[in-house]
Amino acid sequence: MTTQTLPQTLIPPSTHEFADIIHRLEAGGSMLPDTPENLMQIIGIYKAYAVPMDFYWRGVSSISGRVFLNPLPAFKYFLPKEYLDLHNHYAGDDADLRIWRGEATAHPELLEFMEKGEVKQKLPKLFHHLWHDRINMEFAEACMRAMFWHRGMGGQFDPYLDSEEYKANADRAIRAYFRGNPAMLGLYQLFPDMFLEQVRELSYYANLGLFWEVMAPVFFEMSDLYDEGKLTTVPEAMNFLVNGIFAIAGRPIYHHVYIQGECYEIIPKSKGFMWLYEAALPYVEAVFYRTSPFRGTKSYNAQAKQVPTDQKEFHYGILYADVFPVGSAGIPPTLLMQDMLHFLPPYLLDYYKQHCRNEDDMLIQLGISFQRSMYNVTSAVIQALRTALLYPLDDTNPKHLLANRQFFETQLDRFKRPEARLRDIQRQDYR
Amino acid sequence: MLSTLIWFPILGAIAIAFLPLRQPKLVALTVSGITLLWSLWVASQFDFTDSLQLQEYLPWLETLGLNYQLGVDGLSLPLLMLNGLLTWIAIYSSQEDVKRPRLFYSLILLVSGAVAGAFLAQNLLLFFLFYEVELVPFYLLISIWGGEKCNYAATKFLLYTALSGTLILVAFLGLVWLEGADSFAYKALMGQSLPQWLQIVLLSFILVGFGIKIPLMPLHTWLPDTYVAASTPVAILLGGVLAKLGAYGIFRFGLGLFPEAWATLAPGLATWATVSVLYGATIAIAQKDIKRMVAYSSIGHMGYILLGGAALTDLSLVGAVAQMVAHGLILAILFHLVGVIESKVGTRELDVLNGLMNPVRGLPLVSALLILGGMASAGIPGLVGFIAEFLVFQGSYSVFPVQTLLCVVGTGLTAVYFVILLNRTCFGKLDNAIAYFPKVEWRERVPALILAITIFFLGIQPTWLVRWSESTTHTMVSATLAQPTIAQAADSPLPASQTSLP
Amino acid sequence: MADIVDIAVNAEGFKTLVAAVQAANLVETLKSPGPFTVFAPNDDAFAKLPPGTIQTLVQNVPQLARILTFHVVPGKWMKADLERVNFLTSVEGSPIPIDTSDGFEVKNATVLAADIEADNGVIHVLDRVILMG
Repeated sequence: MTTQTLPQTLIPPSTHEFADIIHRLEAGGSMLPDTPENLMQIIGIYKAYAVPMDFYWRGVSSISGRVFLNPLPAFKYFLPKEYLDLHNHYAGDDADLRIWRGEATAHPELLEFMEKGEVKQKLPKLFHHLWHDRINMEFAEACMRAMFWHRGMGGQFDPYLDSEEYKANADRAIRAYFRGNPAMLGLYQLFPDMFLEQVRELSYYANLGLFWEVMAPVFFEMSDLYDEGKLTTVPEAMNFLVNGIFAIAGRPIYHHVYIQGECYEIIPKSKGFMWLYEAALPYVEAVFYRTSPFRGTKSYNAQAKQVPTDQKEFHYGILYADVFPVGSAGIPPTLLMQDMLHFLPPYLLDYYKQHCRNEDDMLIQLGISFQRSMYNVTSAVIQALRTALLYPLDDTNPKHLLANRQFFETQLDRFKRPEARLRDIQRQDYR
Repeated sequence: MLSTLIWFPILGAIAIAFLPLRQPKLVALTVSGITLLWSLWVASQFDFTDSLQLQEYLPWLETLGLNYQLGVDGLSLPLLMLNGLLTWIAIYSSQEDVKRPRLFYSLILLVSGAVAGAFLAQNLLLFFLFYEVELVPFYLLISIWGGEKCNYAATKFLLYTALSGTLILVAFLGLVWLEGADSFAYKALMGQSLPQWLQIVLLSFILVGFGIKIPLMPLHTWLPDTYVAASTPVAILLGGVLAKLGAYGIFRFGLGLFPEAWATLAPGLATWATVSVLYGATIAIAQKDIKRMVAYSSIGHMGYILLGGAALTDLSLVGAVAQMVAHGLILAILFHLVGVIESKVGTRELDVLNGLMNPVRGLPLVSALLILGGMASAGIPGLVGFIAEFLVFQGSYSVFPVQTLLCVVGTGLTAVYFVILLNRTCFGKLDNAIAYFPKVEWRERVPALILAITIFFLGIQPTWLVRWSESTTHTMVSATLAQPTIAQAADSPLPASQTSLP
Repeated sequence: MADIVDIAVNAEGFKTLVAAVQAANLVETLKSPGPFTVFAPNDDAFAKLPPGTIQTLVQNVPQLARILTFHVVPGKWMKADLERVNFLTSVEGSPIPIDTSDGFEVKNATVLAADIEADNGVIHVLDRVILMG
């Protein structure tokens, strides 16, 4: 309880618009209020998110490492078996660091869904694919594109993509990939930058795959701990994430391409790029905060400055998104919600059946839960940054506490925008 | 067999009111369903080449000249089927937990039977009896189950309709006495022998009497209040069936009894129709309440019927009958959908409604059907509204080009207010603060789906709509051919004939 | 006098740091003439990191080296010299804020022992591992 009372006694209370939330963060809490209902929602969603994520990371890894520059990648979403059997580095017996106690290969629920799909019938893969009864890799690509489009969100990865060293590495891989294909090599001579830009995009695929490879076991483990009764509060869930972020902060971020059995290191591990700085933080910035406006539901008038001129000012991510239009055409999160719908744990299914339109609007109810859960993940990121860059919450030096306070206030300033959902997730009846 | 259409629903009404039935809605649905099937069977027996048929005669009060005479022709048959369908739809779309259900359903069935009787009656006094019988049930339906200000609206409706009845009765009595006829039996052209000024006076009574019922500007002031105050099923019956009774009366008793006077007044009638069309459409644009908007649209659309009648060509008259059916279907679907929206969203205000197209939290199917209804009402090709309006305009342009063109402008204005309605209601962003509407159940969608299919089917297969009335309307047109003021439509299938003149 | 590595090896409480420097193949660099200023977190400082952090870093030498080089600045910066600057640029490339206004703080770490001189530079002992960002 000392952590709860100390800050208030050593420094005056915050006068920030979100003072309550700031005090909660200073007491070691999350932006999401600590209620059993919230905990159940976010853990259930982590589990439902982790299963498709297990596909996403394998999918984007396969695209960045094998499909590479295939000019007609019609089957790029069809995961080869070797990628389903690929061992996650953070689960299973041979893990680098065992975060999840489960297996390292693809999750059994995922395999079952891939086989039978929503229609619960074993049909040729192509039928499931065309019926859209599958994991929506398009969402994973939308996340990648958000990162690639915004670029420059800190870390050394992005500047490296413009370096001569990178260009030389990419050139070697491109030439190797199109060896014996004069048409493509000719095109490459004509438009080298186009090919280079494609490789940069693929490097972001690789980056995203390495990021998600970590998150999937983290979420699986949280779900298991919750089921075992070992995660009982929202701050506990947040702290598990904080520890997870630290534990794998040093994971290398790289881009290896396999061409005819040979490995081309477009971004070698020796560059020292790290999961935290080069993948996680840019991901959070791009996907949670920025992304780009949804098309189709609202007209944005750029001349009337309804869309910021500066890309840095974009705030259309999940922390700001209006989840209600989910289901309309052109809204990428719809694909994610659809994917998560297939893997909801029973307690969450029951919960949604008791509210709003029961089964009919589950897509939106789980979208809102997803928003809550991502506010918790963002809280974990904020707390992790505070731990890494600032001072412990139980520090006794008022100067340090004020520095922490200022850090929290700056972070929460970003949620002062009217479209931010921070206010909404404080209420339980936002669903 | 025509009697069944009248007495089966009325017996059903009595049964529901007095027998201790457990599920009055189910019984009412069954009764009205059988009545609807019966009217379809009657239609299957219909001879397209003949006009009045399947007659029934039963002497009643012969001294009064009141006999039980029924018959059906191309004018009444489509309306009978419309009545059957809309009664069933109205009962189906009633709320499960409607208060005092037995009285409610029995009144609706009573109305249905009385309306059928009015369409079938071949005796002026018998028609008048049926015409008056539906008055009180409607009054009760509005005042007991209505919404806001329903007592005011119901009283207004009662006063207007009673006045309408009185005027019609005066016209009927005057005609029979002046003519010196021995009974009130309906005979076409029976007013023809009277001096023209008398014909015009009697016709005016009929025009005003039924004009209130349709209603035409400026006799319409009861309509918006009544339609808005009435609950959805009652509004469907009011707009879909009762208004048609007015239009039917004008054609049957105005045009049918006084063709010469009708022809004399025709230019004035066409102008009156045009004013009604433009007035209804313009006022509708200004509305902020979607139910009121639909109600005003009704004034405009009923104007086309009068225009078709005034032009008095084969084509325009067929179009007018088609418009009666089309308008009945379209108004029913619109009122039903507005009712669903009101019950789910809790408001009919244009300024509050938004984004109902939202696929998960909105009312997407209801919105889609509302768009279909709006398109049909605005006369988009492929839907029944287009067929009816196009026939009317095609037929009337040669006779009243100016009025016709102004009415075409009226359809343009229809598009304007429906675009406003649809844009505000269905499109845009759903307001998250209010977007927790209950879901629309399938049973609430069924009536709209049936109506939508009918609207679509008749839109692409218009023969099914117009073939009933071609023979009858042709006979009615032939009766006035001698009149010099009426130009002959180019596409009239028969050459001018003098044989029908006295 | 000994060089930076020797001092760390022989002093109490720098086991983790020494192991990390060895794992990251930085021993030779830190034995070179330099001179360097090393902000050396002690064992307690490493223990404050959440579990797993060090394990992952030790498995990934370039990444570990990057963290360690963030603690190293070219040149020999004594405490007295540092009072004149607000930040230094580390070998890693990121800036290290220095605050001597009230005690002696390096980024979010407090200096426990300053100005431990070596042949090829100087060591300041930190109570916390500092991280970029």
